[in-house]
Amino acid sequence: MKILIIEDDEKTAGYVVNGLREAGYGVDRAVDGKEGLYLAAGGAYDLLVVDRMLPGMDGLAVVRALRRSGVHTPVLFLTALSGIDERVSGLDAGGDDYLAKPFSFAELEARVRALLRRPAAAVQQTMLRVADLELDLVKRTVTRGGKAISLQPREFRLLEYLMRHAGEVVTRTMLLEQVWDFHFDPQTNVVETHISRLRAKVDKPFQCTLIHTVRGAGYCLREA
Amino acid sequence: MRFNAFRTTSFRLAALYAIFFGLSTAALLLLVYWYTLGQMEQDVENAVSARLSNLQSVYASGGVSALEQALKRESAQPGIRYRYALIDPRGIRVAGTVPYAGLGVEWQELEGEEGDGDDFELTVGGHGVRLPGGWLLWVGRDVETLHELRERLAGAVSAALAVTIAIALAGGVFLGWQVSRRVESMNRTARSIMAGDLTRRLTVRGTGDEFDRLAEQFNAMLDRIQALMENLRQVSSNIAHDLRTPLAHLRHRLEELRGRALTAAQYQDAVEQAIGETDTILATFESLLRIAQIESGRRRTAFTRVDLSALLEELAETYTPVAEDMDHILTAEVAAGVHVQGDRRLLIQMFVNLIENALRHTPAGTRVALRLPLPVAAGVVVTVADNGSGIPAEERDKIFRRFYRLDASRTTPGSGLGLSLVAVIAELHGLVIEIQDNQPGMRVNMRFPAQGGE
Repeated sequence: MKILIIEDDEKTAGYVVNGLREAGYGVDRAVDGKEGLYLAAGGAYDLLVVDRMLPGMDGLAVVRALRRSGVHTPVLFLTALSGIDERVSGLDAGGDDYLAKPFSFAELEARVRALLRRPAAAVQQTMLRVADLELDLVKRTVTRGGKAISLQPREFRLLEYLMRHAGEVVTRTMLLEQVWDFHFDPQTNVVETHISRLRAKVDKPFQCTLIHTVRGAGYCLREA
Repeated sequence: MRFNAFRTTSFRLAALYAIFFGLSTAALLLLVYWYTLGQMEQDVENAVSARLSNLQSVYASGGVSALEQALKRESAQPGIRYRYALIDPRGIRVAGTVPYAGLGVEWQELEGEEGDGDDFELTVGGHGVRLPGGWLLWVGRDVETLHELRERLAGAVSAALAVTIAIALAGGVFLGWQVSRRVESMNRTARSIMAGDLTRRLTVRGTGDEFDRLAEQFNAMLDRIQALMENLRQVSSNIAHDLRTPLAHLRHRLEELRGRALTAAQYQDAVEQAIGETDTILATFESLLRIAQIESGRRRTAFTRVDLSALLEELAETYTPVAEDMDHILTAEVAAGVHVQGDRRLLIQMFVNLIENALRHTPAGTRVALRLPLPVAAGVVVTVADNGSGIPAEERDKIFRRFYRLDASRTTPGSGLGLSLVAVIAELHGLVIEIQDNQPGMRVNMRFPAQGGE
């Protein structure tokens, strides 16, 4: 898996490049928009991590230019501008996800992994399956080992998201954004509460645990 | 700044006025001048023409000799006002007293000395006629008085113009001085305000003139600036205080860590805690940035039609278990199908902050009620009420201030910015926030503007 980082700030770039290399990715770095565009247009990358604010040609312009020329490599925007406006304009320009600085590396890694998996998940599915857990997207039902499990609408969406990203670490922030549309940090244990309710229904009556807590990072739904 | 009359606006206006006034006065005087003098000149010309035709008929009946006789007779009379000249074909004057100097048939005015002995200055105006045989008969009339009048009139006109302009200019200088004195006093006040004395105000004379009104506006603006400065000072010192505490904690923890030999697991723990604390500080900054961003007002462009009923139902579903875990009870009565204009994500954040505020700052066992009744004529109102300990009436206005925290909640974690964010989001959406006593507890009504509801 090859990733291109387009980032002018040395500190951030060093942090991201080293971290991703340690995690086993092949990483290249471009220092400005023009170089980034040139490298990305080569098309040899599986993911682009693009800073919004770049000297010369900004991140938005780079991604717009890439999308116009038919390059559909997934893009993760990084930015110091944490407002929703910037988030929206980034996604409008053809970005696939958005991460505000400062961010923890675990958060970045989780999002990178989610984006690299995306093409497989994009296939229209009507049934999600992990081990003996089944989620029917059409009938909106969940069964485990053939036994029906009744979920609240929000719990259903939470489980759906976890199952779509089965085997991946999903962070608390990702869950808040994707499941609740909360683009801020709530002051109460919203995620923890709902995960624990979900566990009570999905895991507790059964022998093997599917929803795991990943310390310091988030949650992961996987077999064993 | 030295007073310079010529640079004041009022002086420039006065000068302009003086010029126009002078020009119109000049036009008026010139009109008078031409009407009086023109009439007199016309009279002279008519008299000369009459005399000429008279003499022409003498010539017609008696020839040159009769004409000479007549002219002699005329000239001999005392106090006569006409002067004559009869010039033969060779150009020699044979009768009359006007010295020959290019006399012709055109009107002309001559000045010179009379030729026949009695030397006196004379100014005559007149013209001649050609007689058969190459003779020229010239008749003129004394125009001395006319000239004098003309000169006097010219003198009077210029004097009047000069006085008019002088008065206008003097008035301009005076007015300019008056105005600049007033402006200069405003300038002095403005300078001392710029130098840092924000308590100074402009003098209002009470005359209600435009300077008074300007001063009143200016003073109102200064009041606003002073209030904003005060607010800013307050917020800055609160930021400093609220961020210093967690930063000091963090530093303390790291220092402790340095002094002790720990196991890897203990280090891990300490680092996790340190990260948690920096996250709290970052969240505070994030909230401040969001407040500033929303206050800048740009976000109104993101307004769409929002299904408020669905939004509140979802929040109720999300927070019912959260409330249970906190030993609270959340109830929701939400009428279906209520829509408003707004920014969905901001509205979510606003209601989340209100619900969380009610859950976090009330004792265990408190009931929190979220209500959206079917809108009546008064519009859409969302109510978040609790039966907790409530807040004193005098604190109600303060809770939306940045970093404001009730003494009772000082120990609860939080940035003190949640309700400030509620206030700015409400303002962006034109919402009216009403805080009421729920007897016991607190009730917050969020009243949507009438046109927002459907």
